[in-house]
Amino acid sequence: MAKDPLSEAGLHFDELNKLRILEPDVGQKTTELKEECKDFVDKIGQFQKIVGGLIEMVDELAKEAEKEKMKAIGARNLLKSVAKQREAQQQQLQALIAEKKMQLERYRIEYEALSKVEAEQNEFIDQFILQK
Amino acid sequence: MRFKTSLLKEPKHTELVSCVGWTTADELYSCSEDHQILKWNLLTNETVVVVKLQDDIYPIDLHWFPKTVGGKKQAAAEIFALTSTDGKFHLVSKMGRIEKSVEAHRGAVLAGRWNYDGTALITAGEDGQIKIWSKSGMLRSTLAQQGSPVYSVAWGPDSDRILYTFGRQLIIKPLQPSSKVLQWKAHDGIILKVDWNSMNDLILSGGEDCKYKVWDSYGRLLYSSSSNDYPITSVAWAPDGEVFAMGSFNTLRLCDKTGWSYALEKPNTGSVFSLAWSADGTQLAGACGNGQVIFAHIVEQRWEWRNFEVTLTKRRAMQVRNVLNDAVDILDFRDRVIKASLAHGHLVVATSLQCSVYSTKNWNTPLIFDLREGTVSLILQAERHFLLVDGGGIYVYSYEGRLVSTPKFPGMRTDILNAQSVSLSNDTIAIRDKTDEKVVCLFDAQTGKAFGDGKPLTHKMEVMEIALDQCGPSSDRKIALIDKNRDLYLTSVRRLGREHSMHKIGTMVHTMAWNDSANILCGIQDNQFAVWYYPSAVCVDKDLLPKTLFTKDGSEFSRTPHILNYVGTQVTVRRADGSLVYSSVSSYPTLLHEYTGSARWEDALRLCRFAKDQTLWACLAGMALANRELTTAEVAYAAIREVDKVQYINFIKELPSKESSLAHMLLFSGHVQEAEATLLQAGLIYQAIQIHINLYNWDRALELAVKHKTHVDTVLAHRQRFLQDFGKKETNKRFLQYSEGVEVDWEKIQAKIEMELAKERERAANPSVRSSMASHR
Repeated sequence: MAKDPLSEAGLHFDELNKLRILEPDVGQKTTELKEECKDFVDKIGQFQKIVGGLIEMVDELAKEAEKEKMKAIGARNLLKSVAKQREAQQQQLQALIAEKKMQLERYRIEYEALSKVEAEQNEFIDQFILQK
Repeated sequence: MRFKTSLLKEPKHTELVSCVGWTTADELYSCSEDHQILKWNLLTNETVVVVKLQDDIYPIDLHWFPKTVGGKKQAAAEIFALTSTDGKFHLVSKMGRIEKSVEAHRGAVLAGRWNYDGTALITAGEDGQIKIWSKSGMLRSTLAQQGSPVYSVAWGPDSDRILYTFGRQLIIKPLQPSSKVLQWKAHDGIILKVDWNSMNDLILSGGEDCKYKVWDSYGRLLYSSSSNDYPITSVAWAPDGEVFAMGSFNTLRLCDKTGWSYALEKPNTGSVFSLAWSADGTQLAGACGNGQVIFAHIVEQRWEWRNFEVTLTKRRAMQVRNVLNDAVDILDFRDRVIKASLAHGHLVVATSLQCSVYSTKNWNTPLIFDLREGTVSLILQAERHFLLVDGGGIYVYSYEGRLVSTPKFPGMRTDILNAQSVSLSNDTIAIRDKTDEKVVCLFDAQTGKAFGDGKPLTHKMEVMEIALDQCGPSSDRKIALIDKNRDLYLTSVRRLGREHSMHKIGTMVHTMAWNDSANILCGIQDNQFAVWYYPSAVCVDKDLLPKTLFTKDGSEFSRTPHILNYVGTQVTVRRADGSLVYSSVSSYPTLLHEYTGSARWEDALRLCRFAKDQTLWACLAGMALANRELTTAEVAYAAIREVDKVQYINFIKELPSKESSLAHMLLFSGHVQEAEATLLQAGLIYQAIQIHINLYNWDRALELAVKHKTHVDTVLAHRQRFLQDFGKKETNKRFLQYSEGVEVDWEKIQAKIEMELAKERERAANPSVRSSMASHR
């Protein structure tokens, strides 16, 4: 191929016969690169968006999980305290029962004493009738 | 008996409530760590903030200035002492204005109490000091100083001693500097609260060892509770000293003065830091750890008499049940019931303004009269009338509601009279004096005047309990008393110009009661249940008394029982654990009392023959002799095989004149002086001398003979014979002196004696004819 003086001067013509400073190949490749870069940037952007969404979602999940966890702890604590409450209630009831038992014992003694009095009186009546 | 409590849904205080105090029975002040003082009105159920204190005042203890000042009454308390954590106490008016703040202690002031008349305030601090302040807040003295905080302090009944805590120990310190301090270890943990009741003189303590204990004022333990679940944070005596309240974490307990628990409540309060009873003893308030103020009143109190059972169902209502036919009556009152008493066929109910008297025959129409003063602290009943004690005086009312009398004596303090120190019978009132516990004042119930010359009955020991017999003529009224040594004495209320002759009839007697329908006394003597069927026997024939005593094993009553009453043939005893135990006593003695009281000696004899009981015969012997019924006495003495006494009675019966038989009857009962006086009065000098000779009472015999210039030789002759019989020599100077100038001639003496007897017979013949004719008619 004959050396084109123009090309030597660094000027070229492209297919559309327009004057170019860059070689057509290089120019084309540059354009291609540019296209590719744009594609790449677009894709990256898309990726970031997707990842952002994901992160958000995970965060939300984390929050949810945390909440549930707290709930669970609370519930567990509540359960424990209920047991304790029951214990306290039981203790209270035990105390009340002990009190009632004491009262019952008092009544039992009173009843016994009264029964004895009754027996004595019956005996007296019998004796009285017999003697008459 | 139990508490009925009321608690608001939401606490009014935002922080823990530290102290409460009543002004009237319907108005309460409460202080809390949220710096507020609230006023609770129970009538309107309103709660208002009285004042909000400065932020640096954290109140700890509150005590209202006492209402009674030197017998003068104020309508309501006007000022209270408030102690706080910053080491000050404040005198705060009813409106909540701080009148005065006094720097009192280093560290918190843990307790502040007025004495009963409000002349002194005592404060106890974290610095271990106890200080006394005047009414206006001037420091009088520092009473004690010790190394650990004093958590609680209380005044003694007369405000002459104080009780305070020292770690696990309790200390009673008299205000007089030289007096002895009493100190003892009371609990196994730090003692948090103490209280001392003026009515029963008992001490309460509660501590971190979760126990509460009752002590007497000598530091002897009367009751110790079993260990509770939580430390005891508060104790408080009811003003009448019959019950007390105890507070702990989520716990409120009502206990009898002997310690056993009536009822337990488990309200949701947190720890109850302070308890206060209203002055009439009907309401209780507690300062709770969760900001609540708990209110409580006593319900289901019961009274029993024969076949009636009365229950306080609500504050203003009672239910009467007739056990025989199950008839139920409801009694409603306008005000709160403060005190009630059921005995002798009448129910007496004192409310805050009125007194209602019901007859057991008719529950529909009570007799109502207004009371002079609100708070009745004691009701005692006798068959004909009843007695009310309030802060101002003692009043005897008939069951028709008429004021019969108001006995008074100087220095009387009615606020500390209880059933042990006052006794009432149909004609007599006896009151044990507080200023001198050896003295018992006796009053005529009809006039309210002191008996005789107004000189009270004085015993040689402190008297613990008194009781008047309920039946028989008023001239025979007897009073039984138990002294500090637990000896039981009997004496006549009316004395004839002499000192009261005290007859000891029992030892180690813890409790006693007279029967309501006959003069029979029952008691618990050591471990035995004893019934004195005829205690007056001691005045007639001392040897008879043990024979009239009926005893039976008292083990069923366990330790330290208390006799509640003795109605008909039934004795009701309250055991130390609170259970009621009944014991029946034979009905024969009651019948015998009835027969002899109406002089039906034949019936009495028949009864004794029927019952074949030695004790009964002994009673009859005593009764017959007391009534000078010699024939009956002879039979009775024969039945109990007292041959010597039968013989003596026969001798008395054969005596020629009334005077000398009277004298010998007196002699029989051991009243030598009276016998002598009777004879001398009748001019029977020889007989008087002879009784002294018979008693080997030589000096008096000679003295009489010399004084009346007769029968000196008789005395000397008998003395000589006596000395001869015992182989002794005359050493008595007077006899030596008189024997010199007198010739002893037995024949002459015999003749003289014969002459005297003949003279007596002759003299007695004329009036005795007349009197025998009178008795035949």
